Amino acid sequence: MSESKWIPTVCYQCKAECAILARVEDGVVREVKGNPRARGKMCVKGMAGITTLYSQERLKHPMKRVGERGEGKFVRIGWDEAMNIMETKLRELRKRGEGHKFTYSMFPHSTSDPKWRFVNAMGGFITTGLPHCDSAKIMAHLHTFGCFPNHHIAPMYYTVPKGGVMILSGRHPFGCLDDACVPRDILDAKERGAKLVVIDPIFRTEAGKADWWIPIKPGGDAALFLGMCNHLLTKGLHDKAFCDKWVRPGDMDGLMAFIKDKTPAAISRICDVPARDIVKLAEMCAAAPSVCVDAFKSIMYGNAMDWGHAWSIFLVITGNLDNPGGQPMPEIAPMAPVAPVPPPPNLKELGYHRTGPNRSRFDHYTFFLQPTWYAAQAVREGTLKVFFASECNPALSEMGSGEWREAMTLKGRNGNYALELFVLTEIMPSETMKWADLVLPDQTNFERWELLYMPWWYNFGHTAAVCQPVVKPVGESRHANRVMIDLGKRMFPEYFAFKDDVEYYDIELSGIGMSMRKMLDGGAIWSPGTVGFRKYEDAGRFNTPSGRIELEWKMYGDIGQQWPSPELPLEFRRDADKYPFILVNFRTIFLNNTGAWSQNNAQLRDPVSGIDANPVLLNPVDAARLGIADGDMVTVASATGSVRLPAALTERIKPGCAGLIHGFGQTMGKVASRGAWAGDNELIADAGSHLDEQDLRGGEAHVSTRVKITK
Amino acid sequence: MKQLSIMVDLDRCIGCKTCIVACRNHHGLVNHETAMPEGMSHYLRVEGELTGTFPKLAEDHWVVMCQQCKKPPCIKACAAGAISKDAQTGIVRIDREKCTGAGTCIEKCPYGVIQFNAEGRFAHKCELCYDRVVHGQEPVCVEVCLADALRFGERELLLMQAEAAGKKLLKKRSAQSILYVKRAD
Ligand code: SF4
Ligand code: SF4
Repeated sequence: MSESKWIPTVCYQCKAECAILARVEDGVVREVKGNPRARGKMCVKGMAGITTLYSQERLKHPMKRVGERGEGKFVRIGWDEAMNIMETKLRELRKRGEGHKFTYSMFPHSTSDPKWRFVNAMGGFITTGLPHCDSAKIMAHLHTFGCFPNHHIAPMYYTVPKGGVMILSGRHPFGCLDDACVPRDILDAKERGAKLVVIDPIFRTEAGKADWWIPIKPGGDAALFLGMCNHLLTKGLHDKAFCDKWVRPGDMDGLMAFIKDKTPAAISRICDVPARDIVKLAEMCAAAPSVCVDAFKSIMYGNAMDWGHAWSIFLVITGNLDNPGGQPMPEIAPMAPVAPVPPPPNLKELGYHRTGPNRSRFDHYTFFLQPTWYAAQAVREGTLKVFFASECNPALSEMGSGEWREAMTLKGRNGNYALELFVLTEIMPSETMKWADLVLPDQTNFERWELLYMPWWYNFGHTAAVCQPVVKPVGESRHANRVMIDLGKRMFPEYFAFKDDVEYYDIELSGIGMSMRKMLDGGAIWSPGTVGFRKYEDAGRFNTPSGRIELEWKMYGDIGQQWPSPELPLEFRRDADKYPFILVNFRTIFLNNTGAWSQNNAQLRDPVSGIDANPVLLNPVDAARLGIADGDMVTVASATGSVRLPAALTERIKPGCAGLIHGFGQTMGKVASRGAWAGDNELIADAGSHLDEQDLRGGEAHVSTRVKITK
Repeated sequence: MKQLSIMVDLDRCIGCKTCIVACRNHHGLVNHETAMPEGMSHYLRVEGELTGTFPKLAEDHWVVMCQQCKKPPCIKACAAGAISKDAQTGIVRIDREKCTGAGTCIEKCPYGVIQFNAEGRFAHKCELCYDRVVHGQEPVCVEVCLADALRFGERELLLMQAEAAGKKLLKKRSAQSILYVKRAD
């Protein structure tokens, strides 16, 4: 009789890392589904993960580049040779005193990811998408009320009461970037009588379910929320008792003075939302038992910090912090350190790999991670010599793809590449692979051990989950964590004295009184099941320097940014005549952006079960003016680059905007390379070299781009 | 009448296609090794409709699977007598042993849901996960639906539940056994 059982593990088709069950029959994964002990859901990408696991396109052995970077020609090598190449180069770098010129681009699965540990031992940097996607939200909330949420900390929709208001402002939660349970939770809240308000220049699935869709001008979110704050404060509709008790003395007066002229009428001209709607939404929020706000795309624009600041102020004056239905304030459950701990590099001393005209102004900004998005500058400036990348596809995900490609092939006078070694771990063929010197076959979540632990994990605060191998690995694939632990044992034995990844995770788990054994026995997840509310009341303080909510960002006073500007991002305010359309690049549930494992997944690129096209979306009004018909090939050009794509005319999109799905454009792999689609990052400026406003307004985030469309 | 059914709630379906892939996995419809986009069998498909002009828009999504017709035209179309409506459950089933691969049922199905396996030369389709429901389980799509938009059960009881929840039956779309409902307002 054949054996079949459901095994608890974790999905990794996207960074939400949902807890799942996998049905393994005679050593083969047949089915997957959400783990009912966790939040019980799994999205289409996760379901299609089996296709990634078994695809014949899986990379099965290490490969070394032959020919030039960009040609994508490789020969098969053994793991020993691959390890030797990495060790030799990294030792040489350290000997030259340039350990900090090593950068690893990854998405750490826990704050103590073993790859990250290696980077620290080496004295290098890690870069992740986090600074880009989240930094403005994180920094704004941190500065204002001292909590650390990232984009995986959606509001807890399952706590929204009847009558509560859920505002999605440039956020696509039905696309499952949070836990896959979020769509259900939002719809359940609606059935309880909560209201869903969607603020977005494109009418998407959320808008289809919303009580109210507000098609805002892209980048107008800060303005809209400041207009609401003006109305609430001048009409006395704010939560006065909460503000009196918790806001730092003096800040409310400062806010009143600042907000005075941000009237709905004045603001309306910036965000293109009628003043009466601004008033209506403000009053709806004032009357509601709770309001939560989520944003994602909007918080990547060139005014992201202003928007984050306005958002934070709005939450404060409506009293929506750490209450059911409001903004959750996650706590951190400490994992045990694996001693001795290698110290991280001093970012202040070594500086970011960042350039730009206003670099010194930007130095005020102190995010704790190095940004991902400036590899091209770093290579040109000679501050990036060895680059490793895992679970990312920088050739498509870096803004300014063209510049990135140039940097990868840049040669010095000696005829050698300026970037001396580029190592990529990859599950399936990716665009980035073409530029790599070494390509190492990585493992899917079905083949590897991993401890998923994030203070900001969806279960809010206290959750860990174990990803365990449920089948034998494909080919010679090795998980990147294991590779870096092995390299660590060779180069830094003092920091890698533990036996293997599993023992490493075991030590970490002891910090919460857990072990891998206990975790597995308990269904591979750990969660006390509570987050608590209004924890600041127990503590008697917020986690800010003053212990109070700090509305005014005094530390930015000398650069004039102590209060948020309502203005649109600079990039949207200039060159409107040359580039009349605002580019709105967006994601869908079907693809994990540029991730090769989803771009090369046959089910996800199938029109029946996924998506297979990224035409440029235009409103018929605009198209008629330009003489463009549905399906016509058009050129979309920005100051940075241009792409040719078919136009799709749709009422969904606000006139004046051009919509483009993020993540297409791969030429590697039989599935991903189907169709002449293009990557949006060909159009987006490489923030490090192009943008004038290299300052605090945008945090790390600058995807704001104008384009022109021609036949 | 005995009839098992699925009720699709248009207030909840978000067109995410999770059900399609889960169904394929469960029924082994895809060769993961060699699969390429287009041409993979599927027992469900997502449909949607956007109405209105900017900025006054509305949109619905729903799934279409075998409608378990009251008087199935596929049964009539099959000369080999391979298709029958199960008396106990009302599920329309294709007997793979009897199926000759003639494909006439595919042509006659008004909902275009019958799939053809070219390798084995047989017709196949959604049978409401017959092998699961007889063990007291729900069909896979109902279990995994991301938005809890699907409900499984006896058709008459589902209709009662819809009414209790203030949902209106979309009559035209619910002409056969599968039910499509939406908030009455
Ligand atoms: S959201 Fe989907 S792809 Fe991402 S981890 Fe969850 S189930 Fe997997
Ligand atoms: S999984 Fe549910 S919500 Fe998604 S398409 Fe299927 S029926 Fe609709």
